[in-house]
Amino acid sequence: MRVAAPELRAEGLEAGYYAGQSVLRGVDLRAAPGRLTVILGPNGAGKSTALRVLAGLLPPAAGRVLVDGRDVTRVPAHRRAELGIAFLPQGRSVFGALTVHQNLELGGWTLRRRRPELELALEAAYQRYPKLRPLRDRPAGSLSGGQQRLVEVARMMIADPRLILIDEPSAGLAPNLTREVYDELARLRAEGRTVLLVDQNVRAAVEIADYVFTLESGRNQLEGSRERFEPELEALIRAWLRV
Amino acid sequence: MRSGLEPAGAPGRLWLDLIRLRRRVWIPIGALLLVGLVALGLSSDDLALLDSLGVIFMYVVLTQAWNVLGGYGGYMNFGMAAFFGVGAYTTAVIGHDWSVSPVLATAAAGLASGLFALVVGIPTLRLRGAYFAIATLIVTFAVELVALNAPFTQGSLGIYLKVLPLSPLQTEQLFYFVFLGLMLAATAIVFLIERSHFGWALVAVREDENAAEVLGVRTTRVKILALVLGAVMAGIVGGIYSYRVLYIEPAGTFTIDTSLNVVLMAVLGGAGFWQGPLIGAPVIMAVGDVLRVAVANEVNRLIFGVVLVAVALFAPNGVMGFLRGVRGRRFTI
Amino acid sequence: MLSLLLQAVVDGILLGLIYTIMALGLSLILGVLGVINVAHSVFIMLGSFFALGLLTFLHLDPAVAFVLSTPVFFLAGAAVYRLLIQRVQRAPATIGILVLFGLMVVVETAGILLWTTDTRVITVGYSNLRLSAGPVTVNGARLVAAGLSLLATAGAYGFLKRTLTGRAVLAMADNRDAASVLGMDVGRLSMLIFGLGIAAAGAGGVAIGMTFPFAPQDHIQWLAWAFLIVIVGGLGRVESTLLGGLVIGLVQTLAGALLPFSWVFLLMYVLLLVLLIVRGQGLAGAQRREL
Repeated sequence: MRVAAPELRAEGLEAGYYAGQSVLRGVDLRAAPGRLTVILGPNGAGKSTALRVLAGLLPPAAGRVLVDGRDVTRVPAHRRAELGIAFLPQGRSVFGALTVHQNLELGGWTLRRRRPELELALEAAYQRYPKLRPLRDRPAGSLSGGQQRLVEVARMMIADPRLILIDEPSAGLAPNLTREVYDELARLRAEGRTVLLVDQNVRAAVEIADYVFTLESGRNQLEGSRERFEPELEALIRAWLRV
Repeated sequence: MRSGLEPAGAPGRLWLDLIRLRRRVWIPIGALLLVGLVALGLSSDDLALLDSLGVIFMYVVLTQAWNVLGGYGGYMNFGMAAFFGVGAYTTAVIGHDWSVSPVLATAAAGLASGLFALVVGIPTLRLRGAYFAIATLIVTFAVELVALNAPFTQGSLGIYLKVLPLSPLQTEQLFYFVFLGLMLAATAIVFLIERSHFGWALVAVREDENAAEVLGVRTTRVKILALVLGAVMAGIVGGIYSYRVLYIEPAGTFTIDTSLNVVLMAVLGGAGFWQGPLIGAPVIMAVGDVLRVAVANEVNRLIFGVVLVAVALFAPNGVMGFLRGVRGRRFTI
Repeated sequence: MLSLLLQAVVDGILLGLIYTIMALGLSLILGVLGVINVAHSVFIMLGSFFALGLLTFLHLDPAVAFVLSTPVFFLAGAAVYRLLIQRVQRAPATIGILVLFGLMVVVETAGILLWTTDTRVITVGYSNLRLSAGPVTVNGARLVAAGLSLLATAGAYGFLKRTLTGRAVLAMADNRDAASVLGMDVGRLSMLIFGLGIAAAGAGGVAIGMTFPFAPQDHIQWLAWAFLIVIVGGLGRVESTLLGGLVIGLVQTLAGALLPFSWVFLLMYVLLLVLLIVRGQGLAGAQRREL
């Protein structure tokens, strides 16, 4: 039974890692329900930091995070999974010491008391990502970069999240795998989930986006629908490279 | 500890403002105190008082020695007793019958402790702080074992030193002024270090060792130098201590009390500030003196342990940190 | 000569098993949480006295104490985590180190106040029993202690590898954030593994108490040994600690067969120094999260 996709809003986020040094200085964001929203910006703009705040990994110094109007700012990261929120961090995040199957199983941590449901979800994962089946009992740390990314995505999907936050999905992947990743992201959106994407791969991200935000130096710069952005892409990228 | 970032602003009461006026107020006050201490040393015949003050001066030196690597560098040393003890044993072994002049023996004590610091530091300081901390605990234990078993240390029997050819008052005065002088020297050294490139490098190591390395700081070298410097200071003081107590044996010389006291004095006074030991040592010694009258030595140690935990949890920047309004705590990622 | 070596090997294995459970707590807490438990060895000391107390006042065999120590020390560890460690996890690493040193001093001194600095031994019926198989003779207490240690080590291994919660702990060690967002309460899991680590130390203390004389102020010796085992074997994994434990046990008994007694200890400390120089970089990698 599919629940309607949630809306995610961030208002006036201020956050940083060191006392007295803010990476985000008052950022507003909105991921519309069932749409794919992209956050772009040069290095150091605070995109990853914003996502970490939204995922609950970094408490903001100021501002609010709202899911369907409900204030979740102080909800710790491990409670957000119950709310149907998933986060795919930047870089490798597989549990290298465990097998692929064990990784997926932990993806269903919130389902651990409903074992039959978990088993169904695991089987569904192998059907959705058939390339994982032969790798089932391999230690996740021994897989290639692309395979690990697949494990991370499948693991994330076990709990059937309605709101998905993704940081740099294609970083470090070979071009053919990049294509697959963005196809999967488009599919996620087509399934009616809310997706919020941070990306350096501007072209590929905008191609599948419904809405775009840009950040610079911890503040909002531009925002608008994809149609508005596509013609300005070249100018934007060139401007950031100069930063 | 001290975050190294701008102070958030101390409470703005008049007397705290006075403290922050620093040079204008503190140089005359400091000079007055010094003159007073010298006068006291020359005129007093209260042996107990001179003794107590002498011990405080000695601990200031030890705490300053700890402060270089511990306060500025952020590397906790729980084994100051070992460096102190190496110095004490050096003078005891080579100088107990005055066949070697005390000055030479004391210099040798500093040298021995410095070399010992190299042996300990080179393997352990290439690692991060917590490993070094454990290593200092192990080292103290090991050195005490060596002192108990090595042929030249007389084991648990200990070593007796020849008494000085002076009257009791003259003896007290001698050590009083020696330790006073060393206290001034040690404080001056740390004061200068704080303003030097070496001091900057140490603070960089403390604040963000990875970034410091990227910036080109030879972090391992800096740490080793800090340890050796502190060890030499502790060794000299330890060497003089032998002549003071006239009997050296392993348990009393390498007792954990020395290490604990130094850490507590440094942290309470404010680690990473040259003024810290000047505050911490008298306070802890005074508390200790009061306690030792009332309770057993071990209870004293227990209380100090609890105090250390409390200070670390609730006031890790110590008195100086509070006065300077240091607030910032690094959020760990 | 051969029988001497064989004896040393058997002794080394038995000793190595005991050393494994003794060091396991330090290894797991360091590997999973990135916390270097400076106070690790005082819990070993408490474990020894726990067994002594149960024997003296309740006439319970140390083997029973070994089993009972697990829940007792687990709770103690969880309490320490909740009261102290959790508070310092967001602070600079030096504060945590100071707190643990303070804790160590407090517990050691309390031990001295309660039990004096006298050396104790645990003596039971089978303490002086000697079992022979061919040229090899084995002390009864050491055999029992080694057997219990092996069981406990296997138990820890089974928990971590074969239960979902155990695997969640391993996952958290690999990537704390990823585990967190998947719904794992890393605070709770951290408390769990810290409690387990202290439980291992306590059990290790019982085993050590059955094998060696002990006193409150001598615990640092075991900190050194545990440290050595962690450097040799690697940390965070039960298997690595077992390897390290066996190696150190064998080194000690083989050295003991060939060198005068007091030299063995010196050798071990020199070995520690050398290994720190050689394997230092491997340790540095473990401190992803400094406390």
